[in-house]
Amino acid sequence: MAVKSGRKVRAKKVKSVSRSKRSVKPKVSPRPISTPGAFGSQEMAVERTKFAATQEMPRVAARVQRELPAEYGSDRIVLATRDPWWIHAYWEVAEAGIDNLKNKLGQEFVDAKMILRVYDVSYLIFNGSNANSFFDIEIEHRIGNWYIQVSPGRSWCVDIGFRLKNGKFIMLCRSNTVLTPLAGPSWITDEEWMIPDDMFARLYGLGFGFGSSPAKGWQERLKKALFSGALSSPGLASPVKLPKEKKFWLVVNTELIVYGATEPGAKVSVQGKAIKLRPDGTFSLRFALPDGKQVIPIEALPSDKSEKKTITPIVIRETK
Amino acid sequence: MNKGYLCIILHGHLPYVRHPECEEFLEEDWLYEAITETYVPLILVFEKLLQDKVDFRLTMTLSPTLISMLSDELLQNRYLRHIHRLIELAHKEVERTRWELEFQNLAQMYLSRFYAARETFERYNRNLVNAFKALQDAGNIEIITCAATHGYLPLMESTKPSVKAQVKVAVSHYQKVFGRKPQGIWLPECGYNPGDDEILKEAGLRYFFTDAHGVLHATPRPKYGVFAPVYCKSGIACFARDLESSRQVWSSIEGYPGDYYYREFYRDIGFDLDYDYIRPYIHPDGIRINTGIKYYRITGEDDKKPYLPGLAQEKAAEQAGNFMFNRQRQVEFLSDFMQKKPIIVSPYDAELFGHWWYEGPMWLDFLIRKIYFDQDTLQMIHPSEYLLEHPRNQVVTPSMSSWGWKGYSEMWLQGSNDWIYRHLHQASLRMTELVKKFSPHHPDGLLKRALNQALRELMLAQSSDWGFIMGTGTHYNYAVQRTKDHILRFTNLYEQIKSNSIDENFLADIEYKDNIFAEIDYRVHQ
Repeated sequence: MAVKSGRKVRAKKVKSVSRSKRSVKPKVSPRPISTPGAFGSQEMAVERTKFAATQEMPRVAARVQRELPAEYGSDRIVLATRDPWWIHAYWEVAEAGIDNLKNKLGQEFVDAKMILRVYDVSYLIFNGSNANSFFDIEIEHRIGNWYIQVSPGRSWCVDIGFRLKNGKFIMLCRSNTVLTPLAGPSWITDEEWMIPDDMFARLYGLGFGFGSSPAKGWQERLKKALFSGALSSPGLASPVKLPKEKKFWLVVNTELIVYGATEPGAKVSVQGKAIKLRPDGTFSLRFALPDGKQVIPIEALPSDKSEKKTITPIVIRETK
Repeated sequence: MNKGYLCIILHGHLPYVRHPECEEFLEEDWLYEAITETYVPLILVFEKLLQDKVDFRLTMTLSPTLISMLSDELLQNRYLRHIHRLIELAHKEVERTRWELEFQNLAQMYLSRFYAARETFERYNRNLVNAFKALQDAGNIEIITCAATHGYLPLMESTKPSVKAQVKVAVSHYQKVFGRKPQGIWLPECGYNPGDDEILKEAGLRYFFTDAHGVLHATPRPKYGVFAPVYCKSGIACFARDLESSRQVWSSIEGYPGDYYYREFYRDIGFDLDYDYIRPYIHPDGIRINTGIKYYRITGEDDKKPYLPGLAQEKAAEQAGNFMFNRQRQVEFLSDFMQKKPIIVSPYDAELFGHWWYEGPMWLDFLIRKIYFDQDTLQMIHPSEYLLEHPRNQVVTPSMSSWGWKGYSEMWLQGSNDWIYRHLHQASLRMTELVKKFSPHHPDGLLKRALNQALRELMLAQSSDWGFIMGTGTHYNYAVQRTKDHILRFTNLYEQIKSNSIDENFLADIEYKDNIFAEIDYRVHQ
């Protein structure tokens, strides 16, 4: 598909940064470290682990006040391919350069628009004026980013600059060139072999897991599957696979705590099963308590086994 | 005589999460859970197969970050603490559920699995990489590598030296760990960009993988679709994912893991039980988290029923049979008109098995045994074996693609995460600048340390996991913080190096925190 020159802009604005007033320099602030400088990394590692338990700080507090620079101070525009139909551009143009241009052009600069000029540079070595076609996108800020709708299987390059009132374009910076992937099978077949279209359709459908019957509309089905996210890997990788939101709900469970004390060193069993006493002779047990009747005989024998004591709580749970 | 091959790939990866500066760190649990629920269960399955003399073939990625964490002493010790606690909790659960037998059986099951995890962990000297290495040396598992910190390569298109560094550091790390060269690589997120194959080739790799459309949309058209590898012009082979077999396992709706008899992932006693009781086993700040003890089966929409391991096991066996049956039909159909044996490539995240899909390792066990004992149509194979058997393949240029959401780069390039590339690319350019400026002078001492650490920081910032997490929204703040931390550490180093004022305290501190790839050489970034 060829792109017509100067066609209407189709661009999706997602986010743009407007911090043009301030020029923020990257902060250099090595964090203070309590360890003496003479120590090598090994010693420090040991010392740090020694204090780790007491030094533990709340995560948020320990991790504030450091921000990435808003700009790096050089003119730059970079493209990346998102998918067959969209490329992404981010850019940064120094304020000084714009001011220079303004001063140089004077009156000519009035009503100049900052634009992205998007060139289709498929199958050629781009020299700035030989693009297959181009279109413009007006932008507002000298630092920003934009998703640009393009077409599959073509190469793209973008200039950032000013379009003057008289139509003249002044480039400030040129991007890298990117290629969008094909959105379907290549029309180029290897001269070494021939494969009938319907056979390829079967293989193609099979490759996408649609079975081997070349049903009508297989390419459409594929597109639907491919670009709806249905084919993405789940587990970690799927934004669709989250637990369903619950409606208003209530859960009630009951547990029973059985606790007591006897002479330290005594042997105690609960429902016939020996339990371990704490050193002071106390014990405590916790049970999930289902509906019904629980008979819980607790037997204790002193260490000389001279006498036996039994207490048997009976607990009934009912749920209405 | 078999009619075709099945190539299963388990992609094992976790981002580098290691916080010596905190005694307990929530995100480190990612590793501990994966050890207990995925890596150990898989190792136990493979050990048993070897013991029973079942000859099988499985390809597995162990990402360099995962290997580094598994081999790290601090994390090993913390894992032991973690599993000790779980064992203690499971003991309490066995007592607590005395009057509810169906739950007590489950508590008992968890208890014995936790003991087995600890025993296995100790048996391999607390380093599970040893287990996988032994399996590779036995010839059953082919371990492949992955980009060093799982950087998403298609979005490094404008900074190729970073792609090179990601690949080269991974390859040399692999050689150091396994004592041999890796044959293949799993590109992070299956993200392929035409031209990257040159870099793989240069690093001595022989094959990689793309998603189905990477090869189906290749130029020229692939003669055999995804059922035979192709060569890139660089001479490296490319295998493409078969989506039918993928969907059967991946999908939560039509796939196996969604079966009603399987264990429900989202009902964990960390959330279900009384707060005071569970408090010692959740996060020290009191945030409820998953403990790994889960008592229910998926059941259906509401009113979850208790999990019954016996029934789940029957299901796993049945589904393994179903999977094999479908692959048999696939290769039978294909072998009628292909002039070579078809290969069905089925890659999965390793952590899907056991962690998300609890019965996954069991399913794999059944599948491998059925393929070995019950039939002749299908045989398992490693990619490198297939290439030896079928060295002649079509030459194409695969299409840019990934296995992520929507098949391309949108998962890592959308409103929530597109801001990171401005900084990542800038840091990459600066790294290249440093290499160019300093490597001719063969620096040593402090400067060399600073340059190496700068590359570590850059690579840690490049992990695709951060952009991914920002895109999904869970642990969003952590992912943002990690990106910023590493970029800022890099930027500080860059400026200190350039102004010849390296702060040794600062350097030593981040060397200690971000200690990955001890033997990194900054010069690979060019």
